[in-house]
Amino acid sequence: MTHTRLDSSDIPAPEKTLRLEGNGKQALEQGRTRLLIAGSVFALAFSVIAARVIDVSVFERAEEPRLAEERGTLTHKTGRADIVDRNGMLLATTLNVPSLYADPKYIMDPVESAQELRTVLPDLDQADLVAKFSDDKRFTWIKRNLTPRQQYAVNKLGIPGLYFQNESKRIYPQGRLTAHIVGRAGFDDVGLSGIEKSFDSMLRDGSDPLRLSIDVRIQHILREELQTQIDAFDGIGAAGIVMDVNTSEIVAMVSLPDFDPNRRDKVSDDAVFNRATLGVYEMGSTFKIFNTAMALDYGTTTMHNGYDASKPIRIARFTINDDHAKNRWLSVPEIFMYSSNIGSVKMALDVGGERQKDFMRKLGFLEASAIELPERGRPLSPSPWRPINTMTISFGHGIAVSPVQLANGVSSIVNGGVRHPATLLQRDSTELLVGERVISEKTSRAMRRLLRLVVEKGTGRNANAKGYLVGGKTGTAEKPGRRGGYQRKALLSSFVAAFPVNDPRYVVLAMVDEPKGNKSSFGYATGGWVAAPAVKRVIERAASFLNVTPVDEEAPEIRRALVVKIPQPKGKKALASF
Amino acid sequence: MRRSMTLWLLLATCAGIMLFLVKHEVQDREDRLNALHREILADQEAIQVLNAEWSYLNRPDRLEHLIRTFSERPRARHLQMTSLDMLPQLLDEPGALSDASAGDTGIILPMVRPISIKAGAQ
Repeated sequence: MTHTRLDSSDIPAPEKTLRLEGNGKQALEQGRTRLLIAGSVFALAFSVIAARVIDVSVFERAEEPRLAEERGTLTHKTGRADIVDRNGMLLATTLNVPSLYADPKYIMDPVESAQELRTVLPDLDQADLVAKFSDDKRFTWIKRNLTPRQQYAVNKLGIPGLYFQNESKRIYPQGRLTAHIVGRAGFDDVGLSGIEKSFDSMLRDGSDPLRLSIDVRIQHILREELQTQIDAFDGIGAAGIVMDVNTSEIVAMVSLPDFDPNRRDKVSDDAVFNRATLGVYEMGSTFKIFNTAMALDYGTTTMHNGYDASKPIRIARFTINDDHAKNRWLSVPEIFMYSSNIGSVKMALDVGGERQKDFMRKLGFLEASAIELPERGRPLSPSPWRPINTMTISFGHGIAVSPVQLANGVSSIVNGGVRHPATLLQRDSTELLVGERVISEKTSRAMRRLLRLVVEKGTGRNANAKGYLVGGKTGTAEKPGRRGGYQRKALLSSFVAAFPVNDPRYVVLAMVDEPKGNKSSFGYATGGWVAAPAVKRVIERAASFLNVTPVDEEAPEIRRALVVKIPQPKGKKALASF
Repeated sequence: MRRSMTLWLLLATCAGIMLFLVKHEVQDREDRLNALHREILADQEAIQVLNAEWSYLNRPDRLEHLIRTFSERPRARHLQMTSLDMLPQLLDEPGALSDASAGDTGIILPMVRPISIKAGAQ
């Protein structure tokens, strides 16, 4: 027996790969190719996706924000911005007001539903409601503009078929009080008058409230006092202004009669008419403030000079007389204090027409005021400027300006002589005020003394609010008649005052249209009797709101600041220490 | 091979669940945000109504009427008003002030600072 050693190399290696021949081989080859193609397509797709994922997540793009953005603004948009007074009290706002409508298809019992609804809305008519509820229409208005309380009550009833629709409505919480200033907006939120019109586009675009310079408390005081005077003297209207002399901000402005802007019905033209800004009037003697300031500032006269006022001036077919005639030589302070027309005319003639016109232009009396209202009256001034005009303008006739221009002019005279245009918007306290110098500071100081003199000893004694150092000037103008000339009975009585006059803070103007004298005024309907008491009461009531504290009028430093020496014709100088 | 496969499968499942949870959370929060936005707008609208009412109720003529009706004290006269730096001096005892103004009409305060106290300021 022989053993044969077998070496592994001796055994033939088995065939590692199967070799198929014919059809089988072909099918397998095809399958493999397909798999390869499909695999590479998938691999390609996945690598594209991977590349994209890396691209999106790793690389930055310019249009992509770094941080997530908060979508939309979260402020409640009403479609029209609010208007507020200087203390933030709402004067005009837009509210979403629900209106009640019915879908009669869903109303089960018209009669019962109507009865129920009338328990919360008693002013609706039962028969009318039943008719509406049994209608074929799918929509019928029941009541427009419900209050939130009414809406709640109707909801609580739970009557099926009643629905609400919100409508935006402009509301004026202060009603008549600021009617002429704020004005009105109509149905589709378009400003029709006042601030609503002049700032229409701004109110529509913005959402920040528009802050006015008005203070509703002062506005109320002014309106009430003017109404008192209208009632007492049977006037047909009145206008009043309280203005900050240093910034020319209007703190209160009233025109009577007025209207309720919340009511959409037709208001009379007289009520809509803004007497304070749109009306232009011949102001009468209050213009002597400007006449005297002009003469003093041009240096054609001084506080120690005077004019002969003993005889009336006759020119053409006119005669110029004095209402409070003294029939003697009058010094400049006396001319102002007794409101002498003759003396004023002579002072104006010394200055001359050209310079007078210039002065009026500087005070802004030859063009419309810059106030932010669409209702601005264009002043009426003579053209050409004849000597007769120079004479009449000296005592406030022959030139017509609006009350707001008059108040602005007086502010410029007493505040140290710098004019800032009147404004209804609250000025930024940091804003640098650039004004136009009208008169020198020295003339301004002299005018303050003269204004005080009128209230202490002259025609304006009824305006003397104790403690507030009121200085002012009366004005009584005859209104021009329809056929030329003037009407003796139709007066425009006004009083313009500055207080405290040693360092003026505010100007107050009151004007009553066609007052009739009564017993309390001894039959007079002049500015000193009709308008001056109103100014006095306005100052007494408003001063504490305006942060003006009463002072001791007899204090030596105040007396020294306001003393006026009245020169005598024969060279004797009397010290007028009142 | 099998182990890595399991790992990947596990990872994918985890990622899927996480994604689902996060998405849910985001949706929840978005709903809450929308609800809050709606609430804020409704509140703002209500505040607007209340503001209007506040302004209406604060009309100066109404306030004046209410004060006349309900105030027991007589109205202060304007000469009784002054600013703080016009007061002559501080009272040592707080009780002294109420004694002095016990009368119905109150005291009339001095309107000018006494010269002796702050002579330089005049």
